[in-house]
Amino acid sequence: MRSDVLRETPIVIQYTAKAGKWILLIGYLGVAILPLLWLGMSSFKTEFEIISAPLSLPQSLHYENFVNAIRISGLHRFFLNSFIVATCATTFNLFICSLAAFAVARERWRLRSTFLTFSTAMVLVPIISFMVPYYALILRLGLFNSIWALVLTYTAINIPISLFLITNFMKALPSELDDSAVIDGCNFWQRFSKIVLPLTKPGLATAGTFAVIGSWNEFVYAMLLTSSERARTVQFAVRFFSSEFRDDYGGMFAAIVLTMIPTIFIYILMHDKIVSGVTAGAVKG
Amino acid sequence: MNRKLFIVSFVLIAALLASVSVFGGGSRETAPGEVVITWPTHWVGEMGAGPIIRELVDEFNALHAGEIRVVLEAHPEADAAEDVIRTRLAAGQPPDFFLFKLGPTTEVYYETGLLMDLTDELERDGWGATFDPGALAVSTINGEVRSLPIETALTPIWYNTRLFEEAGIDEFPTTIDEFWEAADRLLEIGVVPTSQMTGGANAWTSMLWYTHLVGSIGGPDVWDRAWDDPAFEEAAGIMKRMYQEYTTRDAIGAGPGESSAHFMNERTAMFVNGPWFVSNIRDNAPDVHAVTRLAPAPSAGDYHGHQVGWLLTSAAAAHTDDPARRDAVVQWFRFLTHPDNIKRQSLGRGSLMPVAFEIGPEDNVDPLQQQFIEAGNNATFLIDGIEAVMPVHVVQEFGQALSAMVLRDLPPSEFVALMRAAAE
Amino acid sequence: MKKNKTLVQKNTWWIILFTAPVFVLLLMFFVYPLISLTITSFMETAGFGSATFVGFGNFSRLFNNSVFRMSIRNNLIWAGSAAFLQVPLALLIALVLARQPAGWRFFRSAYFLPNVISLVALAMLWRAVYNPYYGILNGLLNLLGLDHLSRNWLGELETVLPALIISYQIYVGYFVIILYAGTLSISKSLYEAAEIDGANVFQQEIYISIPALRGFILSSVTLAVAFAFRQFETTFLMTAGGPANQSSVMALFMHRRMSAFQNGMASAVGILLVIIGIVVMKGLQVIFGMRSAAIEDAQQ
Repeated sequence: MRSDVLRETPIVIQYTAKAGKWILLIGYLGVAILPLLWLGMSSFKTEFEIISAPLSLPQSLHYENFVNAIRISGLHRFFLNSFIVATCATTFNLFICSLAAFAVARERWRLRSTFLTFSTAMVLVPIISFMVPYYALILRLGLFNSIWALVLTYTAINIPISLFLITNFMKALPSELDDSAVIDGCNFWQRFSKIVLPLTKPGLATAGTFAVIGSWNEFVYAMLLTSSERARTVQFAVRFFSSEFRDDYGGMFAAIVLTMIPTIFIYILMHDKIVSGVTAGAVKG
Repeated sequence: MNRKLFIVSFVLIAALLASVSVFGGGSRETAPGEVVITWPTHWVGEMGAGPIIRELVDEFNALHAGEIRVVLEAHPEADAAEDVIRTRLAAGQPPDFFLFKLGPTTEVYYETGLLMDLTDELERDGWGATFDPGALAVSTINGEVRSLPIETALTPIWYNTRLFEEAGIDEFPTTIDEFWEAADRLLEIGVVPTSQMTGGANAWTSMLWYTHLVGSIGGPDVWDRAWDDPAFEEAAGIMKRMYQEYTTRDAIGAGPGESSAHFMNERTAMFVNGPWFVSNIRDNAPDVHAVTRLAPAPSAGDYHGHQVGWLLTSAAAAHTDDPARRDAVVQWFRFLTHPDNIKRQSLGRGSLMPVAFEIGPEDNVDPLQQQFIEAGNNATFLIDGIEAVMPVHVVQEFGQALSAMVLRDLPPSEFVALMRAAAE
Repeated sequence: MKKNKTLVQKNTWWIILFTAPVFVLLLMFFVYPLISLTITSFMETAGFGSATFVGFGNFSRLFNNSVFRMSIRNNLIWAGSAAFLQVPLALLIALVLARQPAGWRFFRSAYFLPNVISLVALAMLWRAVYNPYYGILNGLLNLLGLDHLSRNWLGELETVLPALIISYQIYVGYFVIILYAGTLSISKSLYEAAEIDGANVFQQEIYISIPALRGFILSSVTLAVAFAFRQFETTFLMTAGGPANQSSVMALFMHRRMSAFQNGMASAVGILLVIIGIVVMKGLQVIFGMRSAAIEDAQQ
């Protein structure tokens, strides 16, 4: 539909635009995909091949890296923990952030912009400096060495980004929506759950994607706040291949590949579904 | 997304969690009267110390079944393990048992009052006498021993005899002039003389080269005169020349991976590292392993034949007022540092230990490992690595100051000035 | 707008209920640690137990430290690259994707993949790409007969920071997602009307898409700048701040102070990082001419 316009614009612009468009799309596709291919390729190489000639093809395919990845680190045992931590933390995070974002974006109250500004500024905080406070807090809450320690921590540390994103998405919706909802007799909760939240799906998907990835890949607090395998996540297993003086990159990369697959899968499946669902119908003229 | 969806998702999550608490409740119950010693450590996994430590822990637990149980808490990444121990100490919750690198920075662990005092225990049954007196002296602060030496570092110069022969060099150079001559010959046959690196946490390889040189100019006590002795400037000048002419193009910014890979691929002929690297080169580059010999550094001053070696790892335990617990922890300490078990650790993971033990021909020691033992025995004196004598923030600055000297073409005195500034 | 005002009284309890969970968690995980960080930043800490009040001593020591000043400079360069390189690039890609060229679904999914890869692996890849022996970059230059341009990219004072920043652009996909999701909220009828008026693609993007996306562009800039300020892992894993501290950033500097047990100094760096970050974030919002009030008015 939009491409019709191209026919009416001068030929030079048409071709420049087309060429530029494809250079950009394919160029960045290379940047995005090649590292993944490299990682996949490297996971079939030996430790020595990886450090000696990181960019060349494997001399033979070392499938045993993957066997080792599972045997040495017990990787498979941590997927469930990682899955629960990432899912719960993301769900809780999105739930409480969308509540707060609704109050901030769709209502007018005195301290709302202070609230939002403060929360957003927290994106800047280098949380790596909070090791002692977080450890003490989790101990005091009696959550040490349970997956709930990680669920709570990840729910909390993802708040600044999620709240910021969801608020911005909610602000972008026309204000007439609320007015007509009020006229239709919706109460506060209904306005949130029936009117605003469904239209914020792209925002939720965006914030949710970041929260899932963040929770899945977090390592420092995953180690600090847990002490036994019952609460450990896949990131723990990946580190089994780096010792003090030696890194088995073959095993490490194989483990990384295995831990990445679920995130890629979730991303492609979930994000694509949610976003395309919105594209199909929700945005009205 | 309505209320129903939320309720459904919450029910689902709750169900998931319930299933987890069933799966996850695998931690064993503590028997009444049993003392559990939790040991958060990076000595886990299949490389390095992991296997032998697991074996020793299992043995000890079997020996004391129902009374004492040591539980390994895996923290596979060394840096992360350090973070965990530091954080727990800062929060006043020291781990029951743990390893750390004793140095000017971590000395404060002694002052926290959280570590068990082992001074009196060492007097009993000659336990203290089994340790290397030097290492034990380092572990004694204000007359108290609150950590025990458990692993020593020794880092001679490694050289590739095949490449040396090819270049027509018969013996490893003993003076710095011979060294430059040998380096030129290596360049002539297209081999880069030395592996160097300014990257990683502490510019490891170059830091060790530098320490060797400083020792050869300033002698055994040179660190006591740190940054004032002319040795520090002179050695910096030698390092600068090595970087300008006799090392790889990627040396500035290189990490341990690059610098060791160059040696293992015979791109470089000389390298410095400790005994822990023996298994790495044996597995990855057996041909190079076969032709590698160890030597003391060439002398740039009055001293020759010394090695860089220091107390690398110490073990400590949480202070406790419970005599049963204290006794259990001491038993574990004694078990871990018993000469027989020290020997097993040393042979099992290729490390040098601060406790003497006998090695016989039946032990089948790796030849390169054997050279390490000889290098330690033959050393005229040992000089500490920087990390043993300088606080962490100074160690971290070494690679930065070195690369500044080379890239900005600063005189060696400026390098010393940068290190001095970092030490303030 | 008037109507909203009257809702205030009616909904006070709802608002409290809706914001309470976030508020409590922010208190526990941000406010309380920040307060203790602030207190520590005025202390000289030798080890763990002892701490003496030194006023602004840590701060003045920091500003006298040339490595710290270099770190601030580098953070500002990082922030500039985030606002003027990363976000515009992301915007361009998002606008192209929004027009649904062939294979757009595939592109959209693929562009996010770098965010999933572990930083450790990515850092190794980039170190290999920039390596003077086997790196792709020098290999390409040699192929093109530009041997004289080949260098030790991560080991030279002039090239290390650009090399790091360029490698970081792999994360553009993060902002492509935000901006692309923003394009979904633009009504198609606007473009149809513009087409009838004879506007070409560029005119449509400049006069319709970009103004409509202002809020999303602002969000992206804000986040990108914040990430640039707390930027740590990429630098830590690729150069550890070297050579000669040329690529040091504040978070790395702070991390080093922490591992040296200099908690007073580390806390002061943390506080300064947040303060400077807020100032720069606000400054960029003004530069982009879109203070949040202005957007709200435009959108309501």
